[in-house]
Amino acid sequence: MIVFISIRYLIAHARQTLVCIAGVLISVTMFIAMTSMMQGFTDKFIIETVESSGHITIHDEPRQSQTPILEMHYPGTDGVLSLQGTKPRDTIQKIKNPTGLMLQLQQMPGITAAAPVVSGDAIATYGTKTATAAIYGIDPKVHLKVTTIGKDMIGGSFDRLETTADGIVMGWGLASVLGAQIDDNVTLASPTGGRSTAKVVGIFQTGVTPVDYSRAYMIQSSAQTLLDKKNIINEIILRTDDYTQAREFAAQIEGVCGYKTESWQEANANFLKIFRIQQIITYVITGSLMVVAAFGVLNILIMAVMERVNDIAILKSFGLSRNDITRIYVVQGFVIGLIGSSVGLVCGKILVELLRRIPIQMEGLVKADGLLMSEHRSDYIAAFCVSMLVVLIASVYPARRAAGYDPVEVIRGAH
Amino acid sequence: MAHTNATPLLQSLQLHRYLGTGETRTHILKGVDLTIQRGEYVSIVGQSGSGKSTLLYLLGGLDRPSAESAATSRVLIDGQDTSELDETALALLRNEKVGFVFQFHYLLKEFTAQENVALPMFRAGKLSRRDAMDRAAGLLDRLGMKSKATRRANRLSGGEQQRVAVARALANEPAVLLADEPTGNLDRKNSENVADIFQQLAAAGQTIVFVTHDHQLANRAKRLIVMDDGKIVSDERSATQG
Repeated sequence: MIVFISIRYLIAHARQTLVCIAGVLISVTMFIAMTSMMQGFTDKFIIETVESSGHITIHDEPRQSQTPILEMHYPGTDGVLSLQGTKPRDTIQKIKNPTGLMLQLQQMPGITAAAPVVSGDAIATYGTKTATAAIYGIDPKVHLKVTTIGKDMIGGSFDRLETTADGIVMGWGLASVLGAQIDDNVTLASPTGGRSTAKVVGIFQTGVTPVDYSRAYMIQSSAQTLLDKKNIINEIILRTDDYTQAREFAAQIEGVCGYKTESWQEANANFLKIFRIQQIITYVITGSLMVVAAFGVLNILIMAVMERVNDIAILKSFGLSRNDITRIYVVQGFVIGLIGSSVGLVCGKILVELLRRIPIQMEGLVKADGLLMSEHRSDYIAAFCVSMLVVLIASVYPARRAAGYDPVEVIRGAH
Repeated sequence: MAHTNATPLLQSLQLHRYLGTGETRTHILKGVDLTIQRGEYVSIVGQSGSGKSTLLYLLGGLDRPSAESAATSRVLIDGQDTSELDETALALLRNEKVGFVFQFHYLLKEFTAQENVALPMFRAGKLSRRDAMDRAAGLLDRLGMKSKATRRANRLSGGEQQRVAVARALANEPAVLLADEPTGNLDRKNSENVADIFQQLAAAGQTIVFVTHDHQLANRAKRLIVMDDGKIVSDERSATQG
């Protein structure tokens, strides 16, 4: 009977009901579209960053600081120790025994591949154009096990690094700044004085602008020569079986190897913070829309209650309790929420597909040919649940107000 | 609690009711004792403000005695002390035992006449939906409203609406029909019509208690109670039904 009365009331005031449903529908649609857009941007950045740069990077910075020499000789001394005329040792930063370390790490559960890298900056020159390049000296076959850079090639081939003496594969942004194309020879100069000429054998596009505008890959031995880091490995890149767990793995690995170990999350913490802020802003905006829709429901239900004071009195006179009256209005809120949210999900899906098809050239932190839309089932579930919850909460006040009417007072008021 | 036919159908003991707050607080009922047996046809008359409608609402469990007199004031419906019931149990008791008719017909305008009559049966849940609708159609037929059964309540005339309200009050075969100025909003012809319906119901053994200003209608009852200033000042039974 409660549902029967509720539905009949909703149908009788079809216009108000449709306005309520439209409010919920629009808020859910916007929630889906906006979160999808934000998530698409974030996902693109994360996936491309993770896939092109690896999940975890071990750097050549030892974590355990060396014990000062005086403390070694006079442990537990309370007095002032002073050593004069010391000369710092000229230490070469590198990862010691990288091959052994990689073998050890690959035995760890969850680590699927490891690749050694020698990295450093160099100035790339082509004709009159110069640009700073982050040189990655790699073993191509091994490196393709930790990244998917080979799939991002838009010109030439990553494999040509192995067959071409002094070959270089660079990001499309770097190549475009230099004006270099496939088979062009660029000149490289490192801050330590190393110089070499390299032939462009491949151009990649990860979609992550900072990577595409700075990174270049060379054969490890050529890079070591250029960077004056003979036989030195200063990074080890690792791939895990679950990139979302990279932070936990990194902490564990750092304990094992003793070198600074960074997960992709730590390496991109600033960007991830920005994404998080954007995500919060999105939720605040779409959440506000839902609250506005809920106020619409609240307002219309209050009006409905005030219009039906006599109905409430008569319903109570023939045996409906306060709880029954409450349920009549909560059910109305539930039906409005259910229809609005369900249709909103469908409209949200349609809007996402339409936005996906809009051709917009975007080049910022990531490069894309259209709006990046990423759908997650959890967003749909969250949109549905939150809108239902908000609308139900909004219907409770008018429902309780309706239930609170004293039928005798109402009847007396009509006399 | 099992009840015999000897148990009074309605009983009020030292019934007090105050209305309003502060300076406007008024003592409406001043210790009313009243017993109504099964099958009685009772009219309550009195001037405006004499407390007759208040008494009716209290007898039907739609209202409760004022808190300050709660310890002594009692209303028993078919032997059940309403002060022992919570709000939900009292609502169920009303649904089962009492049928109300008001001056302003108070039909749910979004529903048809038949649905209005069926609603108390839906609430009781003793009949299937179809059976409740069939019984509602039968009651409307009995009150000469068969042809208007599927019409929306707000598309009925005042007299028709009041007949639907009577049919609704009878929906769950209540032990007592309580009517508050049932003809107060009707023209003479429709008033006579409603009065005739009450007469027929009373003749069939239905307990009816109604409040009215209409002396002609009041005189049709077998028992005439006169109220003044919150007290019963006269309670007379006529030998023949009017």
